[in-house]
Amino acid sequence: MKDSSVTRIAKLGILTKLMISFLTIACIPLLVLGYFGLKNQQETGRRAVEAVAEMGEQDIRSAQAIGDRAIEDSVLALDEKSTEAIEVRTVELAARIADFLYERDGDLRMLAAMVPDPQRYLRVYGSKLRDVIVQGPVLAPEPDWTVTQAFVLWENPENRLSWRNRPPYDFQTESRQLYKEITFVNPEGREIIKIVDGRISEDLRDVSNRENTYCKAEDYYAHLAGLRRGQIYVSRVVGAHLKGWLYKGPEGIKVNPESAYAGLENPSGKRFEGIVRWAMPVYNEGERIGYVTMALDHTHIMEFTDHVMPTDQRFSAISDAGSGNYAFLWDYRDRSISHPRDFFICGVDPETGRDVPGWMSEKRYKEFKASGLSLEEFVEQLPPFAEFSQRNKGSKEQIEAGRVSLDCRILDTAPQCQGWHRGTKNGGSGSFVILWSGLWKFTSYAAVPYYTGMYRNSKRGFGYVTIGANVEDFHKAANATKQYIESAIKEKGAAMRATTEQTRASIRNTEIKSRNLLSVVALVSALAVVGASVLVSLSITRPIKRLTDGALAMSQGDLEQHIEVKSRDEIAQLADSFNAMASAVAQLDRMKSEFVATASHELRTPIHSMLLAISGILGGYSGNITDEVREDLEIVEKEIARLTRLVNDLLDLARIESRKIEMKKSETSVHEIVQTALEEVSGLAAAHSHSIRTSIPQDLPNVNVDKDRIVQVMINLLSNSIKYGPDQGRIAVEAELVGNDLVMAVADNGYGIPSWAQQKIFDKFFQADSIMSQRVGGSGLGLTICREIIQLHGGTMNCVSPLPQNRFSDLLTAGERKGAVFEVILPLNANDESV
Amino acid sequence: MNIRKILIVDDEKTITSYLEKKLAKLGYAVSVAEDGEEALEKAFAEPPDFVLLDVKLPILNGHEVCRRLKADNRTGNIPIVMLSAKAQSDEIDEGLAAGADKYLCKPMGFPDILREIREFEAETE
Repeated sequence: MKDSSVTRIAKLGILTKLMISFLTIACIPLLVLGYFGLKNQQETGRRAVEAVAEMGEQDIRSAQAIGDRAIEDSVLALDEKSTEAIEVRTVELAARIADFLYERDGDLRMLAAMVPDPQRYLRVYGSKLRDVIVQGPVLAPEPDWTVTQAFVLWENPENRLSWRNRPPYDFQTESRQLYKEITFVNPEGREIIKIVDGRISEDLRDVSNRENTYCKAEDYYAHLAGLRRGQIYVSRVVGAHLKGWLYKGPEGIKVNPESAYAGLENPSGKRFEGIVRWAMPVYNEGERIGYVTMALDHTHIMEFTDHVMPTDQRFSAISDAGSGNYAFLWDYRDRSISHPRDFFICGVDPETGRDVPGWMSEKRYKEFKASGLSLEEFVEQLPPFAEFSQRNKGSKEQIEAGRVSLDCRILDTAPQCQGWHRGTKNGGSGSFVILWSGLWKFTSYAAVPYYTGMYRNSKRGFGYVTIGANVEDFHKAANATKQYIESAIKEKGAAMRATTEQTRASIRNTEIKSRNLLSVVALVSALAVVGASVLVSLSITRPIKRLTDGALAMSQGDLEQHIEVKSRDEIAQLADSFNAMASAVAQLDRMKSEFVATASHELRTPIHSMLLAISGILGGYSGNITDEVREDLEIVEKEIARLTRLVNDLLDLARIESRKIEMKKSETSVHEIVQTALEEVSGLAAAHSHSIRTSIPQDLPNVNVDKDRIVQVMINLLSNSIKYGPDQGRIAVEAELVGNDLVMAVADNGYGIPSWAQQKIFDKFFQADSIMSQRVGGSGLGLTICREIIQLHGGTMNCVSPLPQNRFSDLLTAGERKGAVFEVILPLNANDESV
Repeated sequence: MNIRKILIVDDEKTITSYLEKKLAKLGYAVSVAEDGEEALEKAFAEPPDFVLLDVKLPILNGHEVCRRLKADNRTGNIPIVMLSAKAQSDEIDEGLAAGADKYLCKPMGFPDILREIREFEAETE
């Protein structure tokens, strides 16, 4: 397994090996580093974003908490301030009402000081006017009375800071008589003077009878006799109760249009008409002559509360009970005497002059009806404010009858009644908060410090002012702040989250960029590595290839090799060594060639001298010799010839082997080669009585060969057949095309060559039969030279013996001879192997 | 043409003395030079009818000697036969290129050399 993999690696080329190593060394660490780098970057980025996001969320949470706390604080502060402000308004309103009432005391005293006279009374009546705000049946849109900076003008820079300015309330008003009636009543209760509707009335009545009083409900006459001089009588508010209906629609509680006036809810309804009666004894010359009375138009009292708004608006022409922000007024016995909804004001039935019972719970109303008591009697026997709770449901019968006046003494569905009552028990003022109809209601109260007449007995004086307000409205500013903070937090949160998301996206982006960059770097590195390994590999393999080629060329005989390597590395050293070796080999070869050339030259010279002498003797140029001497000298001559051949062949072989010889190739016909060879050996053949036949097709193509050398080969083969065979032998020369090869064969019917010798016969100095060789005088180099020549032509030679049965059968006549054939095989389109 | 005077140029004394002796015996006037310079001097001093010229010679080689003789008016027409131990075909070609009329290779028997000389005599007659 290991071996095979080692073998597999060993089989790879240098380029592949280098690439694998370089890629392993360069790219794997890069990829590993890149991977961890990316991972760290990703992790760091993710953590940073998470941390920032968490910080942002914490910031938002703390901002939320701070905001909540700030709002809570500011709500408290605002509540306190608003409470304070509304309480002050309530108290001041109550004080103003008291002042107003006391002014009426003054009017009365002035009248009482006069001698009763219709004209005088009329003048007083006419002079007592007071503006009331007019509300037409068609409502003009309420102007926006809120604080505006548009009116701010400052001429003096020292005044420029913190301006608050409001336009004047431009309410439409009309002057209205303060009094509905001014009368002078004699001690018996008969009206003597009566000013009504701006004139002296003739309709004089007996007011000791209730039937003749306002709404048949006044009993002031009964109190007159008891008045001391200068003492003032002041009545409660007397007026006819107006019916009204509330209903609960999808938008909340609404007022039926058939109802009495109810501010914005029903501006065209019938207004509550009431009076407060003042009376005082009149004296003439120390004698009580009667009583002056004034009936104050209750509208003027209602005016105090009807336009108060406990909001930024402060005042409005017309109140809006539905908004929950309004002022209202109660008398000294906790009965409603002013309310935006006029049907809530307690009144009498003008038919009977009796009080219309105020609204109460279903249960209490049943008890009331079942008791058979008068209202005052019923109230009298009730434990004060027993079981007052919002859980109590208002009497349906009263609702349906529209008799829903508010009398706190019996209004057991409204626990705040008890609060006001308790709060004004000793006069003074205050406030509290109550959850009313699902909304937190603020309510303040202040006693009206008017203590004339019977009001002297009440610690809450004339009664008390209450102002109701929605706590929500108090908190408007705080809520605005809260909304601002919440929306700011929402915005900031969204912005922060968007930023976080952007950061995330940008980190993702950076990651992608880094990844791409890493990929590019890795790719570029890989390419660089591949390029570098190709370069390095080429720098190694190229010179190695040159070395290989050079070595191959040397092996083929071209010893003059010089490998040019420009670098100075080990390869260059190898090339230098190779070059040194090559030049040494070439030098050796040159020395060998020179040696062979010199040796042959040097050998030829003495041979030449010997031959000169011997041939001269044998030619008769040295006188006569005996036949025996001649025979002996002929042996010498023959051996000289043999020696000459040996020298020639040695030199030839040396030159061929060292590739010093050049094949002079040309297009040559096979016939010409064979004919030339036959001519050369014809003498020799004749000498041995051989017969030679040729069998060469006419259409053989020409061959590109060194003609002389191929002829030399053929001569050699023919000579061998002639010389080594017995005389009178048969020799055949054949040529044929076998595939792309030209095969020339020289066959004989000689002694044959044993099979063991057939391969060695081409070796130097190999002779199968040394005795025969001696006789023939061969050099032992002929076939070696032949084979070298044929190999220089890219061909081969072989020898077959005995002759094949079906070939050259004409040569085989004598039974004993085996014969042999030598074949020269030349490729027709051989590569030029001769250098 | 009648060849009477033969100049033999060879640095081997054995060869020159043998040839001088045998050719003189046959009636030729033989002069011998052992190097190229001597050969030129003798040839120019007394132009021979035939020159048998070795190639490998001291001072001036046979090729140079042949070229100079062939280039000179006095000796330009004298047949020159090179007789050398250099027997390769390129060496033969080189000799013929230097202007030799014939190139013979050593070893060569005396009768063969004599036959070559007589062939020139026959040719030129």
